[in-house]
Amino acid sequence: MAGVSFEAASKVYGDGTRALDKLDLTIEDGEFMVLVGPSGCGKTTALRMVAGLEEISEGVVKIGDRVVNGLSPKNRDIAMVFQSYALYPHLSVHDNIAFALKIKKVPKAEIRRRVDEAARILDLEPHLKRKPRSLSGGQRQRVAMGRAIVRQPQAFLMDEPLSNLDAKLRVQMRADIKKIQGDLGVTTIYVTHDQVEAMTMGHRVAVMRKGELQQVADPIELYNRPLNMFVGGFIGSPAMNMLDARVERRNGSFEIVVGDVRIPLDETKVAQHPGLSAYKGGRIVLGIRPESLEDAALAGEGNGPRLRGQAELREALGSEMLMHFTIAASPAVTNEVRELAEDVGDDRALGQLAEGPSARASLVGRFSPQTQIREGESIEVAVDARALHFFDVDSGLAV
Amino acid sequence: MGVRLLGLGARMAILLVFAIFFVAPILWLVLAPTKSDHALVTSSPFSFGSFHNVGLAWRHLDAYSDHLYRRWIANTLVYSLSATAITLAISIPAGYGLALGKFPGRKLILSLTLVVMIMPAASLVLPIFLELNALHLIGSVFSVILPFSFFPFGVYLAYIYYATSIPPELLDAARVDGCGEWLTFRRVALPLAKPVVALVFFFSFVSNWNNFFLPYVVLADSNQYPITVGLSNLLASTPSFNPAVGGGGQTTNIFKPELALATLVAVIPVAIVFLFSQRALVRGTLGGSVKQ
Repeated sequence: MAGVSFEAASKVYGDGTRALDKLDLTIEDGEFMVLVGPSGCGKTTALRMVAGLEEISEGVVKIGDRVVNGLSPKNRDIAMVFQSYALYPHLSVHDNIAFALKIKKVPKAEIRRRVDEAARILDLEPHLKRKPRSLSGGQRQRVAMGRAIVRQPQAFLMDEPLSNLDAKLRVQMRADIKKIQGDLGVTTIYVTHDQVEAMTMGHRVAVMRKGELQQVADPIELYNRPLNMFVGGFIGSPAMNMLDARVERRNGSFEIVVGDVRIPLDETKVAQHPGLSAYKGGRIVLGIRPESLEDAALAGEGNGPRLRGQAELREALGSEMLMHFTIAASPAVTNEVRELAEDVGDDRALGQLAEGPSARASLVGRFSPQTQIREGESIEVAVDARALHFFDVDSGLAV
Repeated sequence: MGVRLLGLGARMAILLVFAIFFVAPILWLVLAPTKSDHALVTSSPFSFGSFHNVGLAWRHLDAYSDHLYRRWIANTLVYSLSATAITLAISIPAGYGLALGKFPGRKLILSLTLVVMIMPAASLVLPIFLELNALHLIGSVFSVILPFSFFPFGVYLAYIYYATSIPPELLDAARVDGCGEWLTFRRVALPLAKPVVALVFFFSFVSNWNNFFLPYVVLADSNQYPITVGLSNLLASTPSFNPAVGGGGQTTNIFKPELALATLVAVIPVAIVFLFSQRALVRGTLGGSVKQ
């Protein structure tokens, strides 16, 4: 096994499109690294460059200490799980799993031992003689995994391997893959656009956008301290609410002004964001995670800041209530917001963005399920001022 | 109700007329060898003669010029199968390369394939004759087999198949699994090409089997004729079609029933090939490889 590293690796197409732009990323030996981002962000290109299926235009890709730029896929000693599984339809499950070993002319007894072991791990023993077409989606996915693990390769490359499974199976396979990777300790690069997979599976997560790496960090760090607006908006579901706000200083303390509401910041918070003082009197993008919002009636006593608006839609999930509501404030309108809306296909948000500056902003709050608020009612929402995020309006960078 | 029935009746009548128009000659041909030459023109066209007559016609046909008919069938099998084998060996990898390869000139070759495909084969006979003549191949079996092996339609069929039916990820998987380009083709792309192999085999075989003009031009010895040229030779030996035959002391027993039988027997290999190819064609070889 070996680590994988990208050193200023780029992929430039004939028409000048840069699918991947100077990626610098080191994946440690045995690490589970998730590459995540919207479609077209270059994550799959990066993965295919490691596999040797995509030429490296500039820079260097290393597996272990070996530069693999000029090496054909068959000589890279990596295994890949494809989104479509790419099982060989004319071969049985056994022969699919044994394929690479046969090509490598591994002795028959060894092939049998390894295939049997993989089949045991993946619960495929009863299906070894069947052809892929008679398997269910989940079984096919496991065969694809089996094909990778018998190789005992330097690294696993996985290209959205769960995206074709139904939701329930995906949750199960997510845990299975994580466990198998942990048991085998093989360096793994896992590409997904599903941020839940990214958060739950990876030791570290690399967020990408338009061919550029935005941030690499462990999932919790990424969630709590996004380096920019894009990462903040991409990680987390429902997404972070982004509002146009002003920074003001009154009586020696900072306040964030959203519409007609003033949210005072305590000293700890200000100390965490020393850059805020530079924005005094100026505009800033305020990011509020849905869980930092709560029905004021349930938030307990206190005179914390309150947003007032109108409830639009309730989504009861049992353990929580997602409340969509509008307030009298301007939503942040930046390229990042537009791109994130495009990525999830949020036509309503895109429509609002196209209309230009708006006086009403739509927010989502993750409320307690006990909330009594109904659609159409006016709403008072408590804001946890300790968990706010701030971004520069122009650069999108976290303050 | 009455109008609808009338309409249905009218449609059936029209279809029936066309069916009779097309089926009648085939039926006549199938029945012809059961009758004597005389009965063929005097009895009802669709009457059945006897199996005895079929046997008699076959003996006459087989005796013609010392089993020449059998030789023609054998020649045709050799020409058609050899050329089809070469066609398959060339067109399947060619179609694969054109569909999934990346190399300079790919589009040009593809366009040329299409252009050559729509050119009538007969238009090339003269230049091919001159070429074979220059190579001193006229009169040899290669003068038929080599031109027959040139089958751009097969390349096109293989191209279409690979471009539409094989997910590129499948080939990527093979490459990552340790296959070089040749093994990727040999172990994955070729086994999956059974339907198109059957298709190319069928079309190539039938077109070779039915080719008349080229062998007619390049072969001089009647012992080398394929069945198409042989049949025209046979036609010329029938007194009904060529009054000159039978004069000058020649004796031949080739009459209309023998000719009909010769034509029918010549169709049998094509029918057999069709049956086998068809079975391979309908099989869904690709099920389950990738999520649809």
